[in-house]
Amino acid sequence: MLFNSIGFLLFLPLVFGVYWSLSRKALWIQNAFLLAASYFFYACWDWRFLFLLLFSTVLDYYTGLRMHQARTPKAKTFWFWLSIGVNLSFLGAFKYYDFFATSFQSLMGQMGLKVDVVTLSLVLPVGISFYTFHGLSYVIDIYKNRIEPERNPITYALFVTYFPLLVAGPIERATHLLPQIKVKRQFSYSLAVEGIQQIVWGLFKKVVVADNCAFFVDEIFKNSGSLSGGELLGGMFLFSFQIYGDFSGYSDIALGTSKLFGIQLLKNFNFPYFATDIADFWRKWHISLSSWFRDYVYIPLGGSQGTRMRQLRNVMVIFLLSGFWHGANWTFIVWGLLHALLFIPLLLLKRNRNSVHQTGYRWSDGFRMLTTFVLVSIAWVFFRADSLTDAVHYLTRMTHLYPFDFDIFYKNAKYTLLTGITVLALLYLLVQEGYWVFKKQSQPVFSTRWTLWVIVMLFAMGTYRNQMSFIYFQF
Amino acid sequence: MQKFLKKIALYGLGAFLLVNVLAIAVLYGLRKSSFYKPSYVASHYAPKNLDYVVIGSSIGLTTLNTQRIDSLTGLQGFNLSIDDTSLSSNYLMLQHFFAQGKTAKNCILALSYWDADNAQPTLNNNDYRFLPFINESYVHDYYAEMESGYFKPLTFSQYIPAIGVAYYNTELIVPSLLGMVQPQRKNRFDAHGDYAYPGEGISKKVPFKTVTVSWKNPFIQRIADLCAQHQTRLIVYQAPQYHTQVVIEHPDYRILNHSQYFTEAKYFYDAIHVNYRGRQAATDAVVKAINEGCFKK
Repeated sequence: MLFNSIGFLLFLPLVFGVYWSLSRKALWIQNAFLLAASYFFYACWDWRFLFLLLFSTVLDYYTGLRMHQARTPKAKTFWFWLSIGVNLSFLGAFKYYDFFATSFQSLMGQMGLKVDVVTLSLVLPVGISFYTFHGLSYVIDIYKNRIEPERNPITYALFVTYFPLLVAGPIERATHLLPQIKVKRQFSYSLAVEGIQQIVWGLFKKVVVADNCAFFVDEIFKNSGSLSGGELLGGMFLFSFQIYGDFSGYSDIALGTSKLFGIQLLKNFNFPYFATDIADFWRKWHISLSSWFRDYVYIPLGGSQGTRMRQLRNVMVIFLLSGFWHGANWTFIVWGLLHALLFIPLLLLKRNRNSVHQTGYRWSDGFRMLTTFVLVSIAWVFFRADSLTDAVHYLTRMTHLYPFDFDIFYKNAKYTLLTGITVLALLYLLVQEGYWVFKKQSQPVFSTRWTLWVIVMLFAMGTYRNQMSFIYFQF
Repeated sequence: MQKFLKKIALYGLGAFLLVNVLAIAVLYGLRKSSFYKPSYVASHYAPKNLDYVVIGSSIGLTTLNTQRIDSLTGLQGFNLSIDDTSLSSNYLMLQHFFAQGKTAKNCILALSYWDADNAQPTLNNNDYRFLPFINESYVHDYYAEMESGYFKPLTFSQYIPAIGVAYYNTELIVPSLLGMVQPQRKNRFDAHGDYAYPGEGISKKVPFKTVTVSWKNPFIQRIADLCAQHQTRLIVYQAPQYHTQVVIEHPDYRILNHSQYFTEAKYFYDAIHVNYRGRQAATDAVVKAINEGCFKK
């Protein structure tokens, strides 16, 4: 069930109505209903993978309790590694096995050895990377004695399965979400209104910005071999906006939906294309994932402590892991590597913690923002391309100055019209977000009149005929 | 909670009314424009009693030059063909034509042979062009029959116009605005309903084939019945095809098969469409057939 589908339009009010009508009953009834709705939501994708989700939930719930009850450190460690091992095995089997098998085969082939490998060709269960990371954070936090295990199975299952975040995040923490699930929610008028407005804004970013960009991006990346440098440059920038509109739009809908149920999720984006350097970009882009890697990988490895070599290693590890988390393809790994290479100079110059928000913007920051955006966009080519060769060819062709035209954007009346709509949508997005950034708003600020205006834009400029899934569902 | 529900209902209703008012305005503007052919036929094309009309898809649109036919025969005709459509849309267009109080003595159906064999026709890409006439029963019934799935944006537009207009927004909103500014502006057709493809001929090698039409598409019979109902003679016309011989036989339909009338590549835009040069030659062949009594026998 897509957030931008008719099904969800019927599902959400129904669940909202029943949920709040149960608010005078016991908390567990309300939570059980929300859990059932979440399972239904997930089953709409593929009911068979519900069993995998249930298994993962039971595993982490049980090992969490056993770790807490363990009488010896050895026993605690055993249950900890059992959970980590099984979770990562599932993730590895579904997401990474074929990649490792074929990469191994290719490597052996280059060494002159012919190796036959078995590939599984499994369908990737929707949201597996997200709910696995929810579970991992819970287990790690218990192991590190940061939290007590949750004893109520419904509460724990809801923490893992809560439908607004189930398929594409934000990646929640037990320390943030569980306390909200464990207490009775009181309906908040202002929170609910904010939720509706955030949903509308998320829909705008997805249906108007991302899906209109996608029309050109798909065609440009598919025919990159025959297009001019200007067209490829346009395709690269449009993909930057497509992926931002798509993923941050999804996150806004998820956060807004959750606010309707009185639960606040972690913020996932903070106007990332207004970042002034790569470090700043990563403080604003997919915040729940980058902070997850920071807290559970980077800091345990030593973070920015220790020798310079150790610091560099830690940076490399988290960026490569971050790339690999997105998918089993060398393109994602190179994407992560590029970000690491852009980050390292800041680390060496000790400028990786500068925050413009603390000092205020200057005019010169505009140039830094533009530079950061261009660098991030170049890296996105690797993220979007089907293979490393495609990405390199794309970037190489992009530098060809002759011919350097933008013909694809006005090759016929339909394309010209779509170009106009896309440019208008992007201008509105940038002006609106730019206004919020320079007003030092940490998140969008909405008003009723503004919401009606966005609804009119959804009506007139949205893409509905070729409904597109969210990019991050594949991860 | 009550305050929230009241506000949601109030603003929801406000947004609903706002987008529907906009949608009605868009459809009204489109209906009064000449941009799409259904609107042009209804609002701008004055002649009522014609000697003939041409119905079809892009083949009918680009093969027969009705202006030339009229000048050579002294008849009056109009090309009702719309590109990217099929027999079902041709049937809808003919219904639409008759619903405007217009008549035609003859109807030339420019056949797409593969379409004649399509037993399960579905909605066509350009059927949304009839949306301004959604309140006409023949349009609504057509959409209801042809749209599949539980969500039928065109069909639902009879009750909630915003659904169809939002769904086809790029195809409807800007043309409607253009129509308001330039009421005579037409989208790929002239005052006679004609359009021509350019091109100096095709160079691609296409193997020769022979196909036999087996008449599986139910809309052929519906078109024949509609013609009979309006005392219109139906002539099934097969336009020249590059390296394809189309065998067409039917006991009840009058057939004008020009599939191999000319075969040189210079007459074609692609394998199934003629270019402007082929259009003239194909039109002259039809004029010859008319002069030999095709409309009279």
